[in-house]
Amino acid sequence: MKSPKEQSLHTRRDFLRTSVLGGALAYTVPLFLEKTFLCLDTMAAASPGQITTGKDGTILVVLQLAGGNDGINTLVPFGDDAYYKARPKIALPKADILRISDYAGLHPKLTGIHDLYSQGHLGMIQGVGYPNPNRSHFRSTEIWQTASDADRNVAEGWLGRYFDNCCQGSDPSSVGVAIGGQTPQAFASSTPKGVAFSNPEQFRYMSEAASDPNSADMFMRQMNQPTDANHSSLSENSGGSIGMLSGPSDNDGSTVEFLQRTALGAEMSSDKILAITRKTKSTVDYPASQLGNSLNLVARLIAGGLPTRVYYVSQGGFDTHANQLPSHERLMNDLSTATSSFVQDLKAQGNFNRVLMISFSEFGRRVSENASGGTDHGAAAPLFVMGGGVKPGLYGNYPSLTDLHDGDLKFSTDFRSVYATALEKWLGAPSEMVLGKKYPLLPFI
Amino acid sequence: MFSPLPEKLWDRNLAAHLLDRAGFGGTPADIDSLVLMGPGKAVDSFIHADDDGDLFPKPQMLMPAERLVYKQREKAATTEEQRREIRKELGNEEYTSMLNLRLWWLNRMRYTAAPLQEKATLFWHGHFATSNAKVNDSYMMWQQNETLRRYALGKFPDMLKAMSRDPAMIRWLDLGQSRKDHPNENFAREVMELFSLGEGHYTEKDIQESAKAFTGYRIDYQTGYFRFQEKDFDPGTKTFFDKSGPFTGDDIIDAIVAQPQCARFIGKKLWVFFVSENPPEETITGIAELLLSNGYDIGATLATIFSSADFYSPHAVHHQIKSPVQWIMQTTKMLEIPLPDARVLENSLAALGQVVFAPPNVKGWDGGRAWISASSLLYRYNMAAYLLSGKARILGGGNTKTAIIPLETIAPASVRSGSDQLLDHLSFRLFNYPLQTKDRATYLTYLEKHPVPYSNDTVRDLMQIMMSTPDYQLT
Repeated sequence: MKSPKEQSLHTRRDFLRTSVLGGALAYTVPLFLEKTFLCLDTMAAASPGQITTGKDGTILVVLQLAGGNDGINTLVPFGDDAYYKARPKIALPKADILRISDYAGLHPKLTGIHDLYSQGHLGMIQGVGYPNPNRSHFRSTEIWQTASDADRNVAEGWLGRYFDNCCQGSDPSSVGVAIGGQTPQAFASSTPKGVAFSNPEQFRYMSEAASDPNSADMFMRQMNQPTDANHSSLSENSGGSIGMLSGPSDNDGSTVEFLQRTALGAEMSSDKILAITRKTKSTVDYPASQLGNSLNLVARLIAGGLPTRVYYVSQGGFDTHANQLPSHERLMNDLSTATSSFVQDLKAQGNFNRVLMISFSEFGRRVSENASGGTDHGAAAPLFVMGGGVKPGLYGNYPSLTDLHDGDLKFSTDFRSVYATALEKWLGAPSEMVLGKKYPLLPFI
Repeated sequence: MFSPLPEKLWDRNLAAHLLDRAGFGGTPADIDSLVLMGPGKAVDSFIHADDDGDLFPKPQMLMPAERLVYKQREKAATTEEQRREIRKELGNEEYTSMLNLRLWWLNRMRYTAAPLQEKATLFWHGHFATSNAKVNDSYMMWQQNETLRRYALGKFPDMLKAMSRDPAMIRWLDLGQSRKDHPNENFAREVMELFSLGEGHYTEKDIQESAKAFTGYRIDYQTGYFRFQEKDFDPGTKTFFDKSGPFTGDDIIDAIVAQPQCARFIGKKLWVFFVSENPPEETITGIAELLLSNGYDIGATLATIFSSADFYSPHAVHHQIKSPVQWIMQTTKMLEIPLPDARVLENSLAALGQVVFAPPNVKGWDGGRAWISASSLLYRYNMAAYLLSGKARILGGGNTKTAIIPLETIAPASVRSGSDQLLDHLSFRLFNYPLQTKDRATYLTYLEKHPVPYSNDTVRDLMQIMMSTPDYQLT
């Protein structure tokens, strides 16, 4: 057995040997980048064509339902008259509900997700939320992304802190991949971690545009080499960054250094990711939606053996204030079919048992419908956990539809218990270091 | 609080800083004309620029009357098939309409002689963050854009009132369905959280009460304008910020802007957008005092900011990450080329994360470092290569023609026989800022490998390298 240190030196050498950057960087890697390297070198060391086996590390896929999903019309309390009373226009007919129990069942369009339940791969955690719920998209998303208390502003994301705490030592292969244009705040950390892209073919430097591509490529790389942290002439004000919370924190050196690190990470990961996605094809059809494309891409990266352990995807459009029935139905259908394809794909690859997917939304919606046939911002909501390692079933109790807090469901499970469970029981990471305190673990794994 | 910049410090770098931040950059000639004016007149030329709106006639859009015809046809249709067909037709027209509108605004930013007006309009667009993704009516989006432009350098309270009556906003935040017996809280919440005070400066009760005051606000679909529907308005007593009365929406806005926190919130946002991130406490206080004393006069406030020594501080100059729109404007102006092909523009702004008329959510664009991900940074580099040679395969770029870069103007023969000369010349045009010693050495190494006088290929390749750097992302 190699010690963690030896192993990282070894993989680092591998990286420098195999990297597209060649030797150019070997003598200029500044110390502060070491941690980033420990993350990225493992990516470079893995063979792109390698088909992973069930013995490889577990993977977490976080799925954000952006805009505040109506949890009540997702996991429907059809056994409660109060549901039909509160929602005369938008309550879903009892007969159409995909039953889980005599009280609750899934939205009629969630057939694929219901199948997952029947096969024993779906957990539904009821009444998830946090104390003093905030009904602003911005703030509540931030609370979920940073796993902070409602009355505290935290700049780093919960996954960013996981990368910081666990992306070194014996198992450094924990960098994250977000599918989408912007890095989610959940990834924000003191050093750049993870990559974000929506299309791998655009995720590379096109030096061929120059009349002398080789020289353009070489000098571009040289111009993007990180300088020493002390080298920059001015470092930024490093006050608290309220208002800019979704960007990385500012105590992170100058903007130039931030850009340099981003460029370096981009160069290294683009090569690896392209090699995989060009080689790997899905055998399964996905819906032609953004979520379908994103999950397809994640499946190919997993199949191609990218050692990333955290993926982040999102589906938007859940802010259904008016005329919500048709739009929510479309969203549920997309969610269900895309998830279903993803699961089939992973099963065909033999990777299904390695993957845990957690869905979340910044809040649920009010129990009562509004006058516009929609629902306003609410609080607690159910959350799905899916995967080969999930113990199926309903967790917790459905919150009362009549004993409300400001017109909203009361939460019974803190969302950080879900995070803690995923960290401890799935990724094997110490959750207290990441979340700042111990949260009770849930039995869904 | 804000001491003016000493006139003797005024030089090309500082004039360029003003041009970049109060507008969208320009050529060395543009910068030199600001240098000649001196700081006072230069700032004035932005604040009091003549409105040249007549040069940008209203874009070709689907008008309210035409939209009504579609609606009537849909009503009259007898089968679901026909209705679908009509809706599809309408959708296509609306799509084209939106493309026209977006191109219209981007070209206005690119060519206007009143760039601060457009820059401030872009600021307010990010502030009010209304997206056509929900509004789905380009004519309404255009109206809102004109309203933002009208008040961009005017008084903020007037703008806030105008926005509460703005059809696109009414649809965006569901105000159109809010009525006496069922007030919709969305607008009431966002008007405080996002538009004026920020999270934590009001209670849930304030939201519920003020929502009653904004009832009865409607869109007139005949004209596309605002109308007030008296019968849906709640004339009853509301308790807001510890005062009670039969408040109207305008009364609520007056009460909001009277809060010192509103001036702090708006002041900080202005500073972050135009000057630098993380302003110190005393700066926020200073700008808030200014806003409260001049009745939230945005033009006057910006004039003070642009004249202040703080605006030209080394912490501000060349320390802001260009937004995607800023990147495209500064780049095309600097290269003296028109905006790229509409398809390229459309796709690129999406890839870079800033589609105007479609901000990502109610809080607008985060800005700063959030503009930069590994992929958006690579895209910027490739976009530069595409604009320079047409050869990078960026989104939507297939079979498009790129403008010919006037390399003889950008690097005239007189600067092509010495590496230092060429580098000084190019770096001022590209960066508006002196090169760091280390960067300079690398560029010189590149030039040493090429024969003098430097060919167009050498100049273009060097520019591609210079634009594929962290340095080029800053303004």
